[in-house]
Amino acid sequence: MTWIWILLAPLLGGLIYGGERVLRARMQRRQGPPLLQPFYDMFKLLDKRTLIIHAPHALLAVAHFLVLWFTIAAIFLGWNLLTIIFLHLFAQILLILAGYSVLSVYSHLGSNRELLMVVAYEPILIVVAVGFYLISGSFEISTILQGGGYWHQLPLLFVALLIIVPIKVKKSPFDVGEAHQEIVGGIEIEYSGVFYEFLYMSRFLEYIFIYSFVFLFGGESYWLGAVLVAGTFLVVNLVDNATARVHTADMLKIVYGVAMSLAIINLVGVLL
Amino acid sequence: MGIMLTLFLLPIIASVFTLLLPFERVHYFISASVLVILSASAFLLYSSPEIVTFQLSHIMNLLVVVADIILLLYFLYQGIKFKSGNVILLSVVQLLLYGYVESIAPIAGSAEIVVDNLSKFMFLIINGVGGIIVLYAVRYMRDEAVSATKKSLFIAGLLLFISIMNLIVCANSILLFFLLFEMTTLASYLLISFRNDPLSRANGLKALWMNQIGGVVILVAALVAIEGFGTVMFDTLLKSSGGMVLFTVALLAMSALVKGASLPFEGWLLGAMVAPTPVSAMLHSATMVKIAPYLILKLAPVLGATLLGNFFSVMGALVFVAASYLALSRFVFKEILGYSTVALLGLMMALAAIGTKESMTLAMVLMVFHALSKALLFLSAGVLEKQYHVKSIEEMKGLVHRAPKTVGFILFGFVSLTLPPFGLFMGKLLAITSISSLLRERPILLIVVLSLVIGSALLVLLYFKVASAILSSPCDIHPSEKEYLPYGFSIPLWLLTLYSIAVSLGFILLQKNLFIAWLALPLLVVILLPSMVTRMEQYDRIQPYHCGEKELFDAALVYYEPSIRVRQMIYWSFGMLFVAVAFIGVLS
Repeated sequence: MTWIWILLAPLLGGLIYGGERVLRARMQRRQGPPLLQPFYDMFKLLDKRTLIIHAPHALLAVAHFLVLWFTIAAIFLGWNLLTIIFLHLFAQILLILAGYSVLSVYSHLGSNRELLMVVAYEPILIVVAVGFYLISGSFEISTILQGGGYWHQLPLLFVALLIIVPIKVKKSPFDVGEAHQEIVGGIEIEYSGVFYEFLYMSRFLEYIFIYSFVFLFGGESYWLGAVLVAGTFLVVNLVDNATARVHTADMLKIVYGVAMSLAIINLVGVLL
Repeated sequence: MGIMLTLFLLPIIASVFTLLLPFERVHYFISASVLVILSASAFLLYSSPEIVTFQLSHIMNLLVVVADIILLLYFLYQGIKFKSGNVILLSVVQLLLYGYVESIAPIAGSAEIVVDNLSKFMFLIINGVGGIIVLYAVRYMRDEAVSATKKSLFIAGLLLFISIMNLIVCANSILLFFLLFEMTTLASYLLISFRNDPLSRANGLKALWMNQIGGVVILVAALVAIEGFGTVMFDTLLKSSGGMVLFTVALLAMSALVKGASLPFEGWLLGAMVAPTPVSAMLHSATMVKIAPYLILKLAPVLGATLLGNFFSVMGALVFVAASYLALSRFVFKEILGYSTVALLGLMMALAAIGTKESMTLAMVLMVFHALSKALLFLSAGVLEKQYHVKSIEEMKGLVHRAPKTVGFILFGFVSLTLPPFGLFMGKLLAITSISSLLRERPILLIVVLSLVIGSALLVLLYFKVASAILSSPCDIHPSEKEYLPYGFSIPLWLLTLYSIAVSLGFILLQKNLFIAWLALPLLVVILLPSMVTRMEQYDRIQPYHCGEKELFDAALVYYEPSIRVRQMIYWSFGMLFVAVAFIGVLS
């Protein structure tokens, strides 16, 4: 059963992504695309003529997607949370290297920003994992999901996670990675056709990745987890509609200043 | 016993032959055979369980004293010759202290030389990595604009250095340790000022006086040990209990901070980057600075779970973050590597000072993998310097097009320092797990976890920022140039690469944890990547998008430069932390 979920992960992520576009359209009182738009896009992209700059650049996108998928599989299988975070880092580094491997200024800018995003959210993810460990006594997802009480023992840590979710799903105020048209898509700019499709699908997987951290706060109660995910989903999109993008440097300051402090206060509270 | 003598004597004999026969082919032969014999001996010794002890005879002890005095007088002479007040002052202080310590030192004690498991482990690093660096040095010196004698001297010096290192890791007497510590200082000084220009000279003197501070604290430690416990032996000292043990240990730990170039002493290690690259690789990343974590590991049984141990590990962890941060402002490749060495040494010391069995093992794991990866990176930096005359990462832009092989090695070095399934990553992963399990009893270690996490993220930024400079390559309509990489360079680089892959795989298998073995899977993707580059002719090529600009322009690299005030604040606070180590030693 788990394996089927793993195989279907990109589709699941695509549905979340499609659902999000519908939700945002409703918030802005416009019609918006249909729920299945990401899949229509996929067929369109597969139909396009594929142009590449050089082979390693194109293949790194595929590798990025595969490693990310592997990471999602690890989540579904209930592996060690730290391992999962580092596998995700590995996937991200492959993407960043892809962006750097071409002589394109926009691609480089995108990679620079992606790298700074990693520096911003990765410590918070690990600290969240340490928080889970302190309560449940294990880094294994399967054990964490058998415990409970994360929600009221780690409230500030949850807020810290909430702050970095927009970075991962590229939403305002932290959507510096693609920045709409400002840096013409960043890393994505030099991809087309089938290789762009891989990047597009990686984005679906990113949604699953970050929202599973939110889900873990529910612990043994899957209902609570689902409510938390839905709530976060709503809040993130509300904030996305209501805020403007901040500078990359300011993003780092906010994450290290606010989210990190909250996380530390919470952990110290748990320990003392 | 025979094997041990090989480790001490073979490098010395080899260096004599290097001087007698100043021909390149002979040097290749000598260094290659030294590498093979030494690593085989170290490995044999490592796999045998016996602990060897050796007592120096009266004459040998006398020789140690004479050598010490000559060495200190030489430092004094150098201080007077180059008019360095710091060097003169510290040499005089050391001479007086040493004279006093030697006059009250107990004559008999336990064995001066003890080869335990920790020493055997250090032998592996010193001889395996050190031997490869000597082999590389032969080719490197060919293009150096100095006389043939000086080239031979250089290689002989490196060989001698291996012998000193092999001795220092089994010194059981603090006074013998002091002599060897000062000899590594001498080696730093001589090799940094090897090129003999004003900058090299100034940096050499800086390394000299900073390391002499380490010498002074060791002597004070010896003094306290003699006054308090009537011994100068590490093993007797570490077994005794009572008020002053921790003070002695604190002083010795301070000397480790100096040798490990922790903040605020990182100046000497950065200055050392003017030396020829094999020196940077040998002394300042792979072997000599490893004395710092080695010494802490030796002291760890006493340090762990005390106030001093906690304080020291917090300090090491803070050094890890601060040095990673300071590195972000640098643009000379070797300086970047130097700062990241300072950072990782801080982390190793922090882990060692925690003092649980697990954290000590992890510190050792980090030492091995750091030595391999850093040596690889430094040697690649040397290749770039010699073959392409680039030093700064700003000049390295698009280097992958001109030097695909060297860039491949550099990239592998970065990956092996940060990503699964390589050892350094595994070490960090297990360290987070291990420290988290201690958090309930010792909440102060939360600072160590946080620093570990933040520092690792900063190092990722640092390494891949460099990767951004070297990687960008144009559309492959024109195939990239064939790189000529002489065997003298490529063989050492390959050896280090294969070592680090093999050791990583071995380490994963040792975990006896199938989950962790799965971590090796993403590596397959990377290994398969080059083979998949069939140029993919079925797809058409396109030039990158430049928004209509005709002139090529490039994105800038990421730099973070702290303001002078912040920088001074960092130095002052670490300076105070350094002094605080001694105070806490007295208090606890």
